Amino acid sequence: MMQALKWAIPAVIVAGCVGYLIYSASGGATEYYVTVSQLQTQAPSGDVRVAGVVQNDVQKSGGLHVTFTEKDGTASMPVEYAGTLPDIFRPGITVVAEGRLGSDGVFHARTLLAKCPSRFSTQPYTQ
Amino acid sequence: MILGYLGAGALLAGVVMGGFSALLSFWAGWRENDVFIQVGRRGFYAAAAMTVIAALLLEVALLTHDFSLAYVVEHTDLSTPTPLVAAGFYGGQEGSLLYWTLVLGVLGAASLVASARLGARISAYATGILAAILSFFLFVLAVVASPFDLLSVTPPDGLGLNPVLRDGGMLIHPPVVLAGFASFAIPFSFACAALLAGRADAAWIAHTRRFALLAWSLQTAGLLLGMWWAYHVLGWGGYWGWDPVENVALMPWLATTAYLHSSQVQERRGRLRAWNFGLVILAFLLVVFGTFIVRSGVVPSVHTFAISAIGPWFFAFFFACVVFSGGLLALRGAGLGVASGQAPAVSREGAFLLQNLLLIGVVAVVLWGTVLPLVSGLLGTQRVVGAPYYERATGPLFAAILALMAIGPLLPWRHAGRPTLRALRWPAATALLVLAGLFVAGVRSVPALLAIPLAASAGATVVTEYGRAALKNPAIILRRRRRYGAYLAHLGLVVVVVGIGASHFGQQEKDVTLQPGEGVTVSGYTLTYTGSQQRLLSDHTEFIAGMRFGDQTLEPSRATYATLGGQALTHVAISTTSVADVYVVLAGTNDDGSASFRVFVNPLVTWIWAGGAVVILGVVLGNVGERSAAPELARRRIPITLPA
Repeated sequence: MMQALKWAIPAVIVAGCVGYLIYSASGGATEYYVTVSQLQTQAPSGDVRVAGVVQNDVQKSGGLHVTFTEKDGTASMPVEYAGTLPDIFRPGITVVAEGRLGSDGVFHARTLLAKCPSRFSTQPYTQ
Repeated sequence: MILGYLGAGALLAGVVMGGFSALLSFWAGWRENDVFIQVGRRGFYAAAAMTVIAALLLEVALLTHDFSLAYVVEHTDLSTPTPLVAAGFYGGQEGSLLYWTLVLGVLGAASLVASARLGARISAYATGILAAILSFFLFVLAVVASPFDLLSVTPPDGLGLNPVLRDGGMLIHPPVVLAGFASFAIPFSFACAALLAGRADAAWIAHTRRFALLAWSLQTAGLLLGMWWAYHVLGWGGYWGWDPVENVALMPWLATTAYLHSSQVQERRGRLRAWNFGLVILAFLLVVFGTFIVRSGVVPSVHTFAISAIGPWFFAFFFACVVFSGGLLALRGAGLGVASGQAPAVSREGAFLLQNLLLIGVVAVVLWGTVLPLVSGLLGTQRVVGAPYYERATGPLFAAILALMAIGPLLPWRHAGRPTLRALRWPAATALLVLAGLFVAGVRSVPALLAIPLAASAGATVVTEYGRAALKNPAIILRRRRRYGAYLAHLGLVVVVVGIGASHFGQQEKDVTLQPGEGVTVSGYTLTYTGSQQRLLSDHTEFIAGMRFGDQTLEPSRATYATLGGQALTHVAISTTSVADVYVVLAGTNDDGSASFRVFVNPLVTWIWAGGAVVILGVVLGNVGERSAAPELARRRIPITLPA
């Protein structure tokens, strides 16, 4: 009994620490992952990640600055971003923009992730 | 066409033989019927042989451009270089599953050939479990996600492979990491077999440990190669992004790291038996769970495997594995018992236990971050965590593990006394010295001031141990090479940690747009833009920018593929100096002749690759030619008897 207790005490202490670390670290680091229409209807506060398809209106200006429209099935929103674009960025691909929606309705993206093709093909072959 | 039929036939034959082997082996093991145990094992070899045949057929189909197969069309074309056509084998969902099954079949067969010493029962049950796992994969390949599906019309050319993957890294990273994943099934099978048979001895420990080491080494190499590839090819300046795909590869590695340490407590002191079984089982469950979440698309990831129908199958398989192994552990684990005798907290075994708890703590943190989108999606709006979550939550745990790396090896088994305190003066002094040095050098980041001195003190411990041995009797280093190999691996890890610490906390980056002749300075390194040139090639246009850096010219470039809808591919230019990598990405060229760059200065990144190589070297050197992995136990003939 004493033996079992001896192993259990450190286990409980470490588990407690891990639980606290998870709790405190997710406090400021959790973001909502939404689609464009969800963002517009729910308007969660803070930074969010928004997934959508890049439309045909990509405008580049002044080197690294870019604006485009991101759209899901129903809703669309303008996105503004400054930085290096992912290699596969082009109209038609799905991107995940991380940032926040401004009061002007423009989404100011801090980072832009493209879905990385973990496969050889560009699209499935359809006949 | 014919290759497609033959391949599908081989897979189906494999399913039948694997299923037969599984059922027969369980029955024969239970009845201890030696003849049928033998037959069951041969059934596994036959199923493995069918997997090899299927794999060869797929490779032949790829290399001969057999475009009647959908898989060949979707993953290669006539212009793809031959090595990359061959790599198409594991480039897609179906092929990578076949590759995985191939590794499972071949390594599984090898583990069974060597399993006779473990006793008929364990060997038979292990055959049964391995055959069941192999059959599951072959079934998924034959029925759900077949690489041998035929197209009704054979197109003249394939779709080709994505430019991002047209890289030499494609030839080495995926096969190593997938082999690592597949090999975790072997220790799992032998652990469950021992629980089923109710018996495990020193030979079993040695056998399981050997294959756990193999899986661990492959996974270590796979993780490092993945980091190297991401850093050199993807051009975002980093090597680890806490993406679900990376996380699911890290978790089984952490669990197996824990096992490789705690198994020593079992070897030396006969303790932690149930815990060790649990760790081996956990590693495999994490592999299966990771495969499920990554390949079914249930969590958002920057990597997207084609979403296919395998998700529910893998979930069912995961569920079956949890019930089977969890049930076994619950039924048998309680009877494993704890050896009697003193076990003070401050001792080698105490250090191992704490290290294990901390590693499992890291697994818990990473697992929670990975499944949060899944859990929160079920309850409401999907939520995700980014890198800051992982860094904040795992940082303190990793720091504690580093401290244990400094202290643990100096603690004696059973109890620690005054001599131990004296031995600790070297690592403690090193930590203080490095801390002072960093402070004087102007480092003010608290995590860096914690991580690097702790790593240095862990390094000092290794040097102390080698020094002690060299003073007493240098031959002992060779004779007890498993121990000193492990210390070498610790030293390698220390180098990796310093590299990660320096590049993580010391990275500088700058976005600039430059006219030819203009320069930029990032953390003391000056680069001058000399102009760009355009090169027209058959399927893409390439812009190459010249950046003068000292007496060399870096040439970051950006290719645009018109055939792929204008997809771009950047080539990073990296110059490695003695203390940092200067990492230049060409973000784009503008109409006025200027070009935009993102320049990173990443301190000590090369330490990560060098240290990683030392880790693997230490483990390999320490274990090659080790006759018995459990010398103490074998010598003292301590049987580990489980209740039958």
